[in-house]
Formats: sequence, structure tokens, C-alpha cells
Amino acid sequence: MLQKKICMLGGFSVGKTSLVRRYVQSIFSETYLTTVGVKIDKKNVVLPDKTVDLILWDLAGEDDIGSFRVSYVRGATGLVLVVDGTRAATLAVALTLRERVEAEFGAMPFVLLFNKSDLADRWAISDSEIDELRQRGWQIYLTSALSGEHVDDAFRQLALMVTK
Amino acid sequence: MTSTVDPISLPKKAASNDTGIDREALAKLLVEIARNVDPDYRAQFESVPTADPRMEALRQLLVGREISELSRVTDLLDEPAQLATAVGGVLPSAAAQAPHAQLGEALAPAVERAVQRSIQKSPRTLTDILYPVFLPAIRKSIGEKIDQTFQSLNETLRHIFTWHGLKWRVEAWRTGASFSEVVLKHSLVYRVEHVFLINRNSGLLIAHVTADNATSEDPQLISSMLSAIQDFVKDSFNEKEQSGLDTIRFGELRLWSEVGPLATLVAVIRGNPPEGLHEIFRDVLLRIHDQSSEALEQFDGDTSQLFGVEAQLQTCVELKQEDTNQGFPWLVVALVALILILGGAWFFLSWQTGQRWQAYVSRLVAEPGIIVAEQNISGGQFYIAGLRDPLAADPQALLSGTEVDPARVHAQWQFYESLEPQFVLKRLTASLVPPESVRLSVVNDRIVAEGEATGTWIDQARAAARRLSAGGPEFDISKVRDVSPEARAAERWQAYVSRLAAEPGIIVAEQNIRDGQFYVSGLRDPLAADPQSLLSGTQVDPARVHSQWQSYQSLEPEFVLKRLTASLYPPKSVQLSIVENRIVAEGEAPGAWIDRAQAAARQLSAGGPVFDISRVRDPEERAAEHWQAYVSRLGTQPGIIVAEQRIRDGEFYISGLRDPLGADPQSLLSGTEVDPALVHSQWQFYQSLEPEFVLKRLTASLYPPKSVRFSIVENRIVAEGEAPDTWIDRARAAARQLSVGGPEFDISKVRDVSPEAREAEHWQYYVARLEAQSGIIVAQQRTSGGQFYISGLRDPLAADPQALLSGTQVDPARVHSQWQFYQSLDPKFVVKRLTASLSPPKSVQLSIIQGRIVAVGEAPAGWISRAQAASEQLSADGVVLDVSQLRELNLAELNSLRDAIQTTDIFFSSGKVVPGPEQLPVLDRLADQIKEFAQNARKSGVTARFMLTGHSDTTGRETANASISAARAETVRALLNKRGVAPELLQVRGAGTFEPLVPENSQAGSSTNRRVSITVNLD
Repeated sequence: MLQKKICMLGGFSVGKTSLVRRYVQSIFSETYLTTVGVKIDKKNVVLPDKTVDLILWDLAGEDDIGSFRVSYVRGATGLVLVVDGTRAATLAVALTLRERVEAEFGAMPFVLLFNKSDLADRWAISDSEIDELRQRGWQIYLTSALSGEHVDDAFRQLALMVTK
Repeated sequence: MTSTVDPISLPKKAASNDTGIDREALAKLLVEIARNVDPDYRAQFESVPTADPRMEALRQLLVGREISELSRVTDLLDEPAQLATAVGGVLPSAAAQAPHAQLGEALAPAVERAVQRSIQKSPRTLTDILYPVFLPAIRKSIGEKIDQTFQSLNETLRHIFTWHGLKWRVEAWRTGASFSEVVLKHSLVYRVEHVFLINRNSGLLIAHVTADNATSEDPQLISSMLSAIQDFVKDSFNEKEQSGLDTIRFGELRLWSEVGPLATLVAVIRGNPPEGLHEIFRDVLLRIHDQSSEALEQFDGDTSQLFGVEAQLQTCVELKQEDTNQGFPWLVVALVALILILGGAWFFLSWQTGQRWQAYVSRLVAEPGIIVAEQNISGGQFYIAGLRDPLAADPQALLSGTEVDPARVHAQWQFYESLEPQFVLKRLTASLVPPESVRLSVVNDRIVAEGEATGTWIDQARAAARRLSAGGPEFDISKVRDVSPEARAAERWQAYVSRLAAEPGIIVAEQNIRDGQFYVSGLRDPLAADPQSLLSGTQVDPARVHSQWQSYQSLEPEFVLKRLTASLYPPKSVQLSIVENRIVAEGEAPGAWIDRAQAAARQLSAGGPVFDISRVRDPEERAAEHWQAYVSRLGTQPGIIVAEQRIRDGEFYISGLRDPLGADPQSLLSGTEVDPALVHSQWQFYQSLEPEFVLKRLTASLYPPKSVRFSIVENRIVAEGEAPDTWIDRARAAARQLSVGGPEFDISKVRDVSPEAREAEHWQYYVARLEAQSGIIVAQQRTSGGQFYISGLRDPLAADPQALLSGTQVDPARVHSQWQFYQSLDPKFVVKRLTASLSPPKSVQLSIIQGRIVAVGEAPAGWISRAQAASEQLSADGVVLDVSQLRELNLAELNSLRDAIQTTDIFFSSGKVVPGPEQLPVLDRLADQIKEFAQNARKSGVTARFMLTGHSDTTGRETANASISAARAETVRALLNKRGVAPELLQVRGAGTFEPLVPENSQAGSSTNRRVSITVNLD
């Protein structure tokens, strides 16, 4: 049994929870997010040579970075940063959250998801901006909770990164 | 070439530190090298000087730097201070790089010695250092110990007095364990169901073991969530301590966690575990840390390295304490019950015996004449001692009926004389022997003798009473009468005399007894009771009675009444009675009797009681009184003049004049109590000239218009107001006539009417005419500047106000009307409206009967229900529409035709809106039936309408089905129209798939549902 703790980070209402809802095993209701501040799901990823269980810690989204519970990230081996593609400010939030985590626990692999890709008409992030981030070597996916586009790819990529 | 040695400058002094180099070997080596360079040179070498400065120089050249470095290092090693500085600089990194195990081994003895030394020197320092580490551990340990103690105490207390408790006490005694241990062993029933080992850093699950039959959700998620909750609690309450949540409790379920440096062990326990279980978990956790510390430290989510851990955890889940459910101990219970029953029976019996003895003793105590001095029970025997009066009850005899065994009673009684009244009474009875006529009794502790006795006995009794007065109860003999025959006779005589004295009409003047003879004298009224006869029953011997009675007339009212009754012979209509010592006569009597009664009353007034005859009336006198009242009433009546009246032989005669307009004398009789049959009247008519009669006659003859008012002012008749000149002329003539003897008729205040007034009169007449018209309500009307204005409501069905103007002499040009339409609730109008709105068939007749609208006849059901609805609406307005007499039109003939039409369906192929050719005969027949039905319905006064409803099967989209169904209905309508059916009789609708004929689950079903159905409605 190979497991990895993965934290999903992102601002308020970027769609973290709905993004994974259809793709994970879960026994806890979403009220945990508002009560305990975290909800734990499991995503089983099959890689060519092994199978890995990603234990996903879905942390309650907060635009107020101050109230972010860093302690939940302890022991994590990878991050899923989620940005709401229709709200440019959420990119900054995601990046700040990552900085905070890295400051506390050191650098760790991550994937960056631009969510709500189905809302093309309200898209607020320019392609050049995304290209620039890609050039830093970041793994970036445009996802949609509606269609499930690229969600599996992103988890697969992250699983590869954390088991390397 | 010269063989002189090259002037090599040699060091002036030898090397300061001769390192002991083999100089000779070095020299030889150098020579060798030199020979190789120059063979001639070999001759020069004979020997080597011991101190050749050149060699030294050479050495310096070759290894001089090394020599100085070496000497520095040597110096360093030789100088301890310098060496310590140097080693201190590299020691930390050296220790870090040393293999752990070796370093640990090497250091361990030194560290141990150092710690030991430190403690010997000053234990305080180490204590201070370790304090923050120990304190929480100690605290936790103590906490657990206290919990454990409490738990043990709780359970011990809970079970100490139970059956289990007893059993466990035996077990403790048998096994030598403490009682509380045994209690805990039995009462703490639990089972460890799951054990999780969780990586402390990441919350990832390292291992999870489950007891048999225990289930849980995904353990990976649970372990992460558990550590999230640990973090949550720690963050939320800002708890710095490195431990975690000890216990989570949820009903029967407990989560106990033991936190280690690298991993946390969480046990899920069902039931009531002993606190000691903590220690077991902690041991397991320690062992895991010991054995796999490296693997735990390097844990990165891969559990394959920690495979052996599960075996350790397995020891935890096997922990349980089950309730040992032994069979119910029937034998023990039966034995205990038997002992209880036997003991209870013995106890009850001895208690009952004691109770009975006590009952006997208290009975003795209550017994008069018995004094219990002492009593006790000893060895099943009863002892009693005391005093008893010989006359008291026998204590032995009292035993019978108490169920106390007489054989076990040992009594000692001494006799004494009781002074209790009943004993004294007994003794008195024995000593005095009272005669039968005397009765002795105890009253309030006194002994009372009552009755009659001879003087000698009374003397004896008196002596006994004196004796008793010293200490005994009182003996009262005052109620014993001395009986001699003389005394008895005198007593009876006195009773007779007092009886006489009480008798009315008898006055006892004197009485005495002399020589056994009785003498009495006095007065007696002859009407009073006979003294002689009163003797009977008095036991006085009449022969010894000597009476002297003188007669007198008693003035007591009852005697006077008797005498009056006897002397006056009052008629039956008169009642005599005594009221408060007065004699009262009531009723009717002839005058002669009244006169005699008055004479008697006068006689009595001198000393006798009052005789009141004021309430006796003479009936003739009363009739005359009533007649006079009637006559005087007639006298005050206007228009009636009484000329003569008299009474003769009880009959009444009256004559006079009366005005026909005056009151009727006959009718005035009623209520006067004068018998009309006895009245003989003679009235002559005359015209009274009293103003009110004249006024009446004038009103009747002149017909004054409304604008004229008549009144009587000081006996003059005054006419006021406006009247046409013609009327004024007639009034004037009447006034002239009256001037001869009649009251004055003053018409000076009647003014001649103006043309305007006349017009106004005409207008008023018109208005009145309008107001009388039904369906017209005049709200307002006025006359202003010769113009007439009127406004109000009118029913459209009412008469035209304009048309009503004709014949009223009102100029239509000057009339300004404003009418608003309204619906009159007058039945006439309602009928008109109903006829218009309901359009009743010819067979129905609407009529108005006593303000109610009644519909009679035959009509189709649809029409009747509409009429009923109208009736309900109208009833809210207070108008009655009676539809109860309507009968439903008999449509029997039509019904079969209707059924034929309604059971006909036109079917369609799938997706088609035009029926196939096979449906054409059906359509032909249908068209004929519809036409026939419509025609017959029309004859019956009703309109038939046909609803064509299109249907589809469920194949395809619902919207498409809806439109296809409507299109089918339209097609059928067109086809029927083509066959001569009037299109206005046909209505269409599409029902889509919503009204299937058959449930759609087969091919046949869907072909049956593709149809147009027909329903018939009658209006």
C-alpha cells in the first residue's frame, strides 16, 4: 500500500470540492469543511508500475490567508493548487498559499489547476499569463468540474511527481 | 679541472633539530649521483665528515617546508591547550559524521558517568533540565491512575450489595485477589474492535487491524481525519502540548489514542474498558517504536517496510472482556428461599403468640375490677400477677377465645373491693335489695336511684349513701319518690284542676282537698266543655268530687263568635272568622242583615271583642255604583248628551242625544261591570257643534288639498296653507253655513295657489308616479328656476321615464333626467333577465307566484344545472328562483345514439394524421349518427356538441405527440364536415399520450391508442 498526503489549496469558492467530488472515494460530508475546516477524500491512481492512494486533504477555501490552517499541511508530499479561471484574484491567492506552505514545510511538487474552464465567456486569465507560468516548468491544467475535463490527468501527473 | 670543492655556502649552524637522518647513507647516495654525473669526482670521496654543512643545506632545500610544518604539528600535539582548541573546533562535525551505533556505544559509559556525577554533585540541575519532560508524563500517569482508582471504586460501590457482589466476594476470597479487582474483571465488558497506527507527521495510515465482525469505513480516510481532528483541536484551543486527544467517546464507542514520537496508536473500543488498557496500548506503541524506529522515521507513505507492525497491533484487538453469562443459580435461590420461609414462619409464630398474650393482658387491664400489677413472658411461659374484685370477671374465663394456651399461663390474683361505680352498684343491690319500682343506674360515675319506694327503704338507702360518701362514688337517691296512696290521689287531683284551668270558658275560683274529698268551684260558660266529662281518664274518683259551677258568658272571641253565629244566622255568602282577637265578617249580605249585624257590633262594643262588618257588602248597592260610574263616563264623552237615567228593579234606563261621529255608548259599556242585558238605552242622533266634530265633518265634505291644514284654536276651526281658488270658494260657503250657531271657521289664512305652485304640484305628481313604478328608484329630485331635475336608477327593462311624462301636464322641455341603469331585483325584472340569459327551452315556463320565481317544465340536465346555479346566485340577493319543479328531459332515445357515437373511435397508423381507407366506412356511419343526434336534440330544445379528442402513442417526443394528436382531431373534423356535419357542432382537442385507452406496453397497445375519440355534450 502506497499512500501520499496531498493538500488541495485555493481561495474561497474556486470549486475545489466540486472538482474532485465525482472522482474520489469519500465518506465524509461537506459539512466537515465548515466545521473542522478540512475534508478528506481518497483518489486511487494507477501508474504503470504501481498503484498509489492519494489522500486528499481538501482545506476550506479562505480568501483571508491569515486564517489558513497551515498545520493541516504537515506531512503532505504534494499540492493541488486550484484557481477560479473567472476570477483573476484567486490565482494570487493560490500562489500565496503555496508560498506559505513552502515557507513552513519546504518545496514540494504541485499541479496548478485553472478551474471553471467551461465558463469561456467569463474567463479572466490571459493565455500569455498561463504560458508564462508553464515556462517556469509548472504543471498547469485547465479543468472543469462540469465536464471533468483534465481532472484525472492532473491527479495522474501529481501522482507521478510525488512517487518519483 | 680542479678538484676543489665548490664553495657552497653552508649554513653556519647545524639544523636546530637533528632529525636523526642516516647521514652516511644520504652522503653515499649523493656521491653515487655525483659519479653518475662526473666519473672523475669519485677520487675526491674518501669519507664523510660527521657534520657537513652542505648536507644540511641540501636537506633544507629538499624537505625544508615539510620539516617546519611537521614541527608545527608536533608543537600542536605537544601543547595540550592548543590541541584542545583544535579538537574543539572539529568535534561537533566529527561526532555528526561518526557511525551512530559506534558513537553511542563509545559515549554511553562516559555520558552515564557524567550524569551520575552530575546527580551526585547537584541533583537540582538535572531535575531542572528534565522537569518540562517529566511533568506532563507524570501528570498523565497520575491522571490515569486516579481514573483507574475511581473506576474501580465506582464499580465496587455499584456491585457491593448485589447478588453479583456476594458471588464476587466469594470469588475474591477463593482466588486471593482484592474484591475491587474481581469487580472490575466482571463489570468492565469491552472489546477492542479496531486499532490504527497513524503516522504522526502526515496522518497517513501505517497499519490497521480489525477484530472479527467489526466493520468500519475506509481506514485510510479515517486515520487522516483523526489526525486532522487532532490538529483541529490543538489549533482551535491553542494547545502547545505535544500529546494528542486522549479519548473520544461516542455512546458505547470510545476512541483511545496513545501518542508516540513518530506514530499514534488509536484504538476503537466498544464497551467499558478498564483504565489499565492504556498501559497495554502504550507498551505496544513503545515496542513498535523500538523495533521499527528507522522505518517509522523514514515513512513516506509506503507501508511495505512496516509489515511486521500489524502483528503487534493484532495483540491489541484480541483484548476483550466478555460478560460471562452463567446460568441462573436456581439451587442457591431455592435454598435461600427455604431458609427465609422457615425463619419467617418461626418469627411470625412467636410474634403472633406474643401479640395474643399482649391482647389478653390489655383485655385484663381494660376489665373493671382487675388490676394487673406485673406480667412477663419467659421461656414460652406467661406470668401475670395483680388484684381482682370478687365481682369482676374471672381472668381464667377471659382466656377462652384468646388462643393463649391456658396451660402456659401462671396467674397470681389477690382479692380487693373495687370502688368503681359498677362494683359499688352491685354491692348496693345486694345489700339494699331495692323494690322493683326502684331502678339503680350509673350516670357519670354517680349511682342514681330512680323510682318509687316506701319511706323505710328510702331511709336505708340514705344511710348507705352516707357510708359511701367517705371515698366511694356518690349515691343519689333524690329521684326516688315516697309513695303513699294519699299522695298519689292528691297528685291526680292537681292534674285535673290544672286541666280545668287551661280550659277556655272555665274559671276555677277555688279548690281544696279535705278528708279525701275534693272540692272545686268557679264560673263556666255554657258553651265551654263540661267539667264532669273532663274527669274521665284522670283517675280521680268522680264520687269524691264536689263541684259548684256558676254560668257566665265568656267574652273570649271564640265564645262570642259562637254566640253571634247562633243569634245572627249569617247567610252563606258571609264568612265569620277571628283575626287577631277581632271577629271579622266578610262577603255579601242584604241590607237588613247588615243592619242587625251592626246592632250586634254596637252591643259588643261595651266590653266584648270588636265585631268588624265593614267588609260585608250589599250587592244592589254595588251595581248602582257601577251604573253611576258608566253614566258619568258618558257625560264626559264629547258628542254624547245624557238627558235622563234611572234604576228600577235592578234594571238601568238611559236616554239622550248622540252625534254619529262620537263614541258608541254601547261599546263604552265594556269594562264597566254593568251587565249590558240590564241596560235600556234610547239615543237620538244630532249634529254636534263641538269644534272637533265640525272639523271632522268639514274634512269629509271639503276634501282639502294636502297643502291645507285644519286645526282648532280656541274653539275656532282654522284653515291654513295654499289652495286653488275654487276650493277657497267652497270653504267660504261652508264657513257661512257654520256662522249660524256653529263654531267659527276661519279660512283667512288660506292663500290662493300660484302657477308655479301648480306646476310644482304637477311635477310632484309625476315624481310620485315614477316612484310607484317598479324598476325605477328616484334618488334625488328638485325644482330650481322653473326647471325640474331628477336622477336615480332604472332597470333597462323598466318603463321609460320619458314616456311616463305624458298626461302629467309637466313640460318635457323643462325636465332634466339622469338615469343610471341597475338590475332590479323585482321578480318581474329578474324573470326578464333570466329569460334572456338562460334562454329556457320552450318546454320550460317561468312565472311569478307570490313574489317567488318558479320554473316549471322539462329541460335537459345541463340547463337544469345552469338554472340551479342561477338560483343559488339569486338567493344571495334575496330573490327566490324555485327550480324544484323542473324535470329532466327524457333523452332515452338520444342516449342509445349517444352511446353509439361515444364508443366509436377512428384509428390511425403510426405517425399518420390521416386515417387509412379502412376507416372511411366508420367515418360515414359516424357522420350520419352525429347528424341524426343533433337534429333530435334540437327538437328537444337542446343543442348537442361533439368533442373530437385526438390521441397518440408514447413513441417519440412528448411535444411531437401532442401536436400529432391535435392534428388527428382536426383531420377528423374536416372529414366529418365533408360528410355534412355542421362545423360549429364539432370541437377539437389534442390529448397527446395522457389519456391512453390501454396501458402502453405492447405493439397492440400503441396501435389502439393512436385514435380520435368522440364525446357528446348537451347544452
